[in-house]
Amino acid sequence: MYIFVCEDSLDGILTGIYDAWSFKIQHSDLTHDDIRLVSHEPENYELFSEYISVACSLDKAQKVSRTIWQRLGGEFYEAIVKAALSREPSNKKEMDKADAIYKTVVLALRSPEAEKVLLYLGVPCIYRVFTLSRATNMEAHHLMGFLRFSELKNGVLFSTIHPKNHALPILAEHFTDRFPQENFIIFDETRNLAAVHRADKNYMLVDASDLNQDIIHNYSDKEQDFRDLWLTFFDSVAITARINPKLQAQNIPKRYWGDALELAR
Amino acid sequence: MNIQQNMSLMEKLAILSDAAKYDVSCTSSGVDRKGNSKVMGNSTAAGICHSFSADGRCISLLKILFTNECIFNCSYCQNNCNSDVPRASFTPDEVCELTLEFYRRNYIEGLFLSSGILVSPNYTMELIYQTLYKLRIEHHFNGYIHVKSIPGADPALVEKTGFLADRMSINLELPTADSLKKLAPYKSRHTILKPMRQIQNGITQNKNELMIYRKAPRFVPAGQSTQMIIGATPENDYQIISVAESLYDKFELKRVFYSAFVNVTNDSKLPALAGGPPLLREHRLYQADWLLRFYNFKADELLSEDRPDFNIFLDPKCDWAIRHLEYFPVEIHTADYHTLLRVPGIGVKSAQRIVKARRNGRLDFYDLKKIGVILKRALYFITCSGKMMYPTKLEENYICQNLIADKTQIPREIRESGYQQISLFDTGLEENLCISSSAKTALMGF
Repeated sequence: MYIFVCEDSLDGILTGIYDAWSFKIQHSDLTHDDIRLVSHEPENYELFSEYISVACSLDKAQKVSRTIWQRLGGEFYEAIVKAALSREPSNKKEMDKADAIYKTVVLALRSPEAEKVLLYLGVPCIYRVFTLSRATNMEAHHLMGFLRFSELKNGVLFSTIHPKNHALPILAEHFTDRFPQENFIIFDETRNLAAVHRADKNYMLVDASDLNQDIIHNYSDKEQDFRDLWLTFFDSVAITARINPKLQAQNIPKRYWGDALELAR
Repeated sequence: MNIQQNMSLMEKLAILSDAAKYDVSCTSSGVDRKGNSKVMGNSTAAGICHSFSADGRCISLLKILFTNECIFNCSYCQNNCNSDVPRASFTPDEVCELTLEFYRRNYIEGLFLSSGILVSPNYTMELIYQTLYKLRIEHHFNGYIHVKSIPGADPALVEKTGFLADRMSINLELPTADSLKKLAPYKSRHTILKPMRQIQNGITQNKNELMIYRKAPRFVPAGQSTQMIIGATPENDYQIISVAESLYDKFELKRVFYSAFVNVTNDSKLPALAGGPPLLREHRLYQADWLLRFYNFKADELLSEDRPDFNIFLDPKCDWAIRHLEYFPVEIHTADYHTLLRVPGIGVKSAQRIVKARRNGRLDFYDLKKIGVILKRALYFITCSGKMMYPTKLEENYICQNLIADKTQIPREIRESGYQQISLFDTGLEENLCISSSAKTALMGF
């Protein structure tokens, strides 16, 4: 067994797929079943397995993504990207994210009807890709609603989020379409990344470790007024005879409460 | 009436959102609209929930009344002209400011604007139209707008407004004309259904225009909806669900909402509901509503004159299935999509997935679980490659007993918040449940 250890990012995994594939071509006695990908350094190394570490390469990643896009279609590519963006759960029994993506791509490229491969949920690697991309999708969809912007002194809209999966690119895409005329920043505090959007431009993902803490807490004059108005609205729209905290917590999971103005109180 | 002058925006918002809260419809769904560089906002067909209030209901839109002053005297409504509540009115500019600033901060998905009847229906409708005009044309707001049409307003005004809104709705309020006459004497079936028909025709006509010219202005693109109050009047579930069915069939409504009655006016014509609002009944009606819209069920299949109310212990689909065991068991690999849809525990998504996944090879029960089938409900009704999951009896009492033991039959939040308890043996429920004494024993322990 040959195990490719790649970086836990979309480009890292795609590079891993490239390297694994070319490794298999060089060693004609191997099949894809002799190769495995892992997206993080293993805690325990297996006996009789050779570990090959993959250096992330944008060039290789682009080649793979182009192949996926052209031969398997946009929908397939989106599922792969979303699966790669999801966070690896700690559960050891589950198939590794990178491996599931690799096996799914191999399967699809071999299949005569590539566009239908994602529907074969009975196949373990496809089911894994399906659940991973669904998790990212769900969280991104939740945050499209639960994320809150605050207006800063300089007119910029600023938001802090703490997502489990790497939903930031999907959110940035959504809000760029929604607020083309606004300057906004969405700050993912767990990953120290920010999506920065300038009016009439496309957004950029930037490293946010040196974010100026003073500026992001310096709100505009009207900010507090609108926050108060929102809280008033939030409280008065609930029907007293139907108060139901359990239903509320079921619909908006507690992990989002810290970043949602009205529930963080 | 208690009209106050010089109220702050905060006070107005408190009064007018409180006054709007019994309107249930707060969805932002039904229309997919991309943003562009000149406007603010877009809209996604699935809708987006922005928060959930303390009662667990979704907050998607800024749900407010334009004014809670009203010349009507509907006895179920807290804003009726005889009730002693603080009154307030927004100006169109105030509504615009709130909507835009809330939208920028991502508090909301858009605006839900309803209103009490100020001066006359036309006067009120005109104010609503002006507000929407300002939002859409002057402020280039491209988010979701749901607007109530005022019963009795001029059709020309309704039409103008429809070109600015995404969804329009006119509340049916009560399921029958008699109840309406009793509780809302200023409203009539005629003033409600006429504009509903007008909007329906407008939508159809607009669809034809859009076929010819893709960029024609769109009229109520997210369709129209309505709502009914449940439990204020003596109608049974069969009547209610039949009304809903005919609204879907004859008026092509997108949604019918059901609102468990909350007695806010203590009017002598209204029932006092000791057990709180009839939440379980509302829940069953929504379940049945989904069966009508997505599962090809007919109202007559679910209920009848002899069994006019939904089963308290079983959801409408399970209830239907155990009374029609002649259709079961269904073989997963050969049954068509519509047959699969009728199996309890299989929903629209899982039925679609089954149909696609089985082309690739045989599925087993574990695969079905992964696909999303709720096996604890489905296992009595399906075979997979000719085998059932466990040896079970295809027998009404046996299945009924087992299904009732499943706690999710009554959702946790309703179970725990104390729904209207109806004692099994004093409302003739025995016949409703249509089960024998052995199952009844099982129920006693429930």
